[in-house]
Amino acid sequence: MAGPSPSPHKPRRKVKKSSNGSEVSSPSASGRQSSSHPAYPLAAFLWPARSSVSQWEILPLILMAVGLFRWAAGLWGYSGFQNPPMHGDYEAQRHWMEITTQLPVSQWYFHDLEWWGLDYPPLTAYHSWFLGKVGGLVDSSWFALHTSRGLDDPTLKIFMRATVIVSEYLIYIPAAVIFVRRLTRLQGINSWNASIALTAILMQPGTILIDHVHFQYNTVMLGLVLASMSSVLAGRYMWSCVFFVLALGFKQMALYYAPAVFAYLLGVCIFPRINLPRFLGIAVVTLASFAVLLLPLFLGALYDAYRGIEARPETFGRHAPLPIFTEYSYLVNYQAWYFPIIQQLAQMVHRVFPFARGLFEDKVANFWCALNVVIKLRQYPSELLQQASLLATLAVISPACLVIFLKPRKELLPLALSTTAWGFFLFSFQVHEKSVLLPLMPMTVLLASNHGLSKSVRAWIGFANLLGVWTIFPLLQRVDLRIPYYVLSLLWAYLLGLPPTSFAIYKQDGHPTWSGFATTSLHTMFYAMMVGWHFGEAFIDPPQGKPDLWVVINVGVGAVGFGICYLWCLWNLVAESGIVNFSKSEKKKAKSQ
Amino acid sequence: MADLYPSIAQCAVVATAFKVLLFPAYKSTDFEVHRNWLAITHSLPVQEWYYEKTSEWTLDYPPFFAYFEWILSCFAKFADPRMLRVYELEFDSWQTIYFQRASVIATELVLVYALYLFVQTAPPAFKRPSHAAALSILLSPGLLIIDHIHFQYNGFLYGVLILSLVLARKKSTTLASGLLFAALLCLKHIYLYLAPAYFVFLLRSYCLGSKSIFHIKFLNTLKLGTGVIAVFAAAFGPFALWGQIPQLLSRLFPFSRGLCHAYWAPNVWAMYSFTDRVMIYVAPRLGLQVNQEAINSVTRGLVGDTSFAVLPEITASTTFALTLFFQIIPLIKLFFDPTWDTFIGSVTLCGYASFLFGWHVHEKAILLVIIPFSLIALKDRRYLGAFRPLAVAGHVSLFPLLFTAAEFPIKTVYTIFWLVLFLLAFDRLAPASNKSRVFLLDRFSLWYIAVSIPLIVYCSLLHGIIWGKRLEFLPLMFMSSYSAVGVVGSWIGFLVVFFTS
Repeated sequence: MAGPSPSPHKPRRKVKKSSNGSEVSSPSASGRQSSSHPAYPLAAFLWPARSSVSQWEILPLILMAVGLFRWAAGLWGYSGFQNPPMHGDYEAQRHWMEITTQLPVSQWYFHDLEWWGLDYPPLTAYHSWFLGKVGGLVDSSWFALHTSRGLDDPTLKIFMRATVIVSEYLIYIPAAVIFVRRLTRLQGINSWNASIALTAILMQPGTILIDHVHFQYNTVMLGLVLASMSSVLAGRYMWSCVFFVLALGFKQMALYYAPAVFAYLLGVCIFPRINLPRFLGIAVVTLASFAVLLLPLFLGALYDAYRGIEARPETFGRHAPLPIFTEYSYLVNYQAWYFPIIQQLAQMVHRVFPFARGLFEDKVANFWCALNVVIKLRQYPSELLQQASLLATLAVISPACLVIFLKPRKELLPLALSTTAWGFFLFSFQVHEKSVLLPLMPMTVLLASNHGLSKSVRAWIGFANLLGVWTIFPLLQRVDLRIPYYVLSLLWAYLLGLPPTSFAIYKQDGHPTWSGFATTSLHTMFYAMMVGWHFGEAFIDPPQGKPDLWVVINVGVGAVGFGICYLWCLWNLVAESGIVNFSKSEKKKAKSQ
Repeated sequence: MADLYPSIAQCAVVATAFKVLLFPAYKSTDFEVHRNWLAITHSLPVQEWYYEKTSEWTLDYPPFFAYFEWILSCFAKFADPRMLRVYELEFDSWQTIYFQRASVIATELVLVYALYLFVQTAPPAFKRPSHAAALSILLSPGLLIIDHIHFQYNGFLYGVLILSLVLARKKSTTLASGLLFAALLCLKHIYLYLAPAYFVFLLRSYCLGSKSIFHIKFLNTLKLGTGVIAVFAAAFGPFALWGQIPQLLSRLFPFSRGLCHAYWAPNVWAMYSFTDRVMIYVAPRLGLQVNQEAINSVTRGLVGDTSFAVLPEITASTTFALTLFFQIIPLIKLFFDPTWDTFIGSVTLCGYASFLFGWHVHEKAILLVIIPFSLIALKDRRYLGAFRPLAVAGHVSLFPLLFTAAEFPIKTVYTIFWLVLFLLAFDRLAPASNKSRVFLLDRFSLWYIAVSIPLIVYCSLLHGIIWGKRLEFLPLMFMSSYSAVGVVGSWIGFLVVFFTS
């Protein structure tokens, strides 16, 4: 790609020597205090691109750079590497490629559930099927039925790492690029700041560590949600439904966002005036998307039934009751032509939503696990806990849903999504520590919003992200991934000028405010605890009888910190929606509609 | 100075993060070589360093590098003492890998400092271009591939070289520059290739008067002479006392090796070999003699003698004569015009001559050309025109060093990233020349860069798909011939620029 210049004979840009010695910065440099020098290293890296560099020159460079970091991080081990008997997430994903390519469709959700049985929605199954087919062309032994379990072939690792990267570059990254571009255009932010925000979003340590090091395909789901938000920004509500249904169809975790998305879409159909065609369009498209999503599974099941292939060959033709609504199973006609569909649907729902499991499984930095340190929750009946969890979740997500419903403004969407996702993460059922990526994603894309790169917002987004990766450290260190953890999280902190690499972000210019002071002291306290915890974890063995001491501390501190992040998101959502009149809410409201 | 962003330190931090992530990457036998040297220098008395041969990777660098390894080994014992045992061949515990990789990153700080000094001492109008050039060296894909994946200490060594080159800028530090270069020669003798340029430059600008060449500055000559002798005495003195010099020299200069290295370095001899291969098919029709024994020798790509089927054999003395001849040409100009820019140009041309015509040249030696050239590539657009094909060819020619699938995306994407970033930036920063440009050279470099993409695709992907494991030498030969064309083209281009400016 040669530069677009007309004459190669002359230098395009002379060394500027303005009289006062400082460069004239590009117009409308929002979120930046001083124009003569970059405020944090990431701005310095994009400093030469400040003016007159086309997006098409800078974007490929950003994408190559973040890709290099992803691939290099992928050279490290993955979860469950040479760790029998069950291995880890890597084996789960590989195993799904094995069963989807080797077994008839109707058996996907039934096959040997003890060994990483498929428990994600159908789009993951289709995705695995496709990748398994491609991988099978390279080496058929990678996905051979039964014999390939726990395989740790180095070439397979490269293939699997490549599938994560390719999936991300096809879904998450285009979504992020388009989302950032739309949001920044909507709010009149210049393209230089947009590039900074994009790089910061793509270098987010959590997603790299979980997807490219520990191994999962979260970015596919997150990318679909981002695409859904991006469609909303463009005013394409039906596309946003399609993308959101796909996200749900890839990973049920996307439900964390669902209340806010639902409230928003309902809101735009009602406010400022009731818009029935839009409502019907949204409803029809959503249902149709679900239908299309499930169609291959159902058709496969019907075709297998037609060919006489049993979904559960181990029952030898006897009919087992349905896994959900078991007490109503007698109503179902096992001979009906549509029975395979009901069977698949019931099994899929049963696998995807494991209500039978406990309130929480592992140590995770949410409310219940933290509470468990004080009160042993196992003494209570699980029904009670489930109801408590449901009520608590509803209570914490409803304010955000109400706000976004009453004020359905597109630029509020990231805040609403992160608020509800924090609510779910903190209070819902069966939360996994990796789910912290869900609230972090919409919160991190706020960097591309108005004032997103200002010190206060950057400080909070940085705080949430660093706290987030800190809570997944126990997960990573279990599989010897300390070094990529330290490198990627410290690098991100460095790039955005965050503690522990720099405290300049808390230096207030102008008159100090109480909220600024509170932020500074709160964050400093948490950063001090995190750093102290790392030293403690590294050098001090936990006392006898409390082998989990460090993990428990991590969970407790993390839960409190996440609670604060939830409050921050909610506060900002309320403040920016203008629903409650604070003393001086922002005057210039971007003319979005 | 206001807008030199990103700063060298910032780039170094981010590059370090990336390099640390590369810790588990592929490492060549050079890793074991250096581990073995750590073990030798740590566990054996100095007298035995150059005699020890438990491992096949005997110590074959000059004494200062051995001392350097000894210093490293003092820290290594805290990482994992087992790596310091001579008999622990191929030892690579995680601690060993972390330690050795980290030592490469840490010693590269010399390069960071040298580049910082290079920008500091640049004339004000050239601060921005110098800064860009400094970053291009710091982030060089050559150093990344060779040092941080393949494993060597070039960052440190080239840091010393650049430090010495930068010190030559000022009259007051010329002596230090000369002594530092002498020390560099005692670290790694490959820099002997650049020594003629140093010799002429120091002679003319330090030992002789600036007005007349017959005005000899005896005090300066004395200082430089005793200084250099002292440096060499510190390095080789002990071994001379023990009478080990012949043994040491036989280690440093193993003449038994062949003309071309395993993967042909992209030099004149690669083109010569390529022509010879083609001649095998053409020669019978022309009625020329074909040497049947030679037909299968080069294709195997083994280290050893290369023999030619049709074209005449090349002897070591031929290569030395050619090298010396092409080194002397620029030195004549340097002698009459001993400015810093001419000096750097001559160093570059000495590097070119040795790389293009040398005996048993390794492709890694291309850094000997790229790095000094980078320092002056932004002098004006004509320099940049000659630099461009070198930047492409030199780095592409390093690709065969890494042949594992996991490192393929890193080497290619990083190199493309670097080329796009710096060629675009250089294009903006290089000032126009007051001389007319050489029309053909511009077109040549554009075409040349364009061809690289299908070639890389063929060599790394298509060839394997079409031919499988057969004809494995073909991609290597294509790559090295292609790169050779680029290096030779840029050499000719630079010669023109050098002599017309």
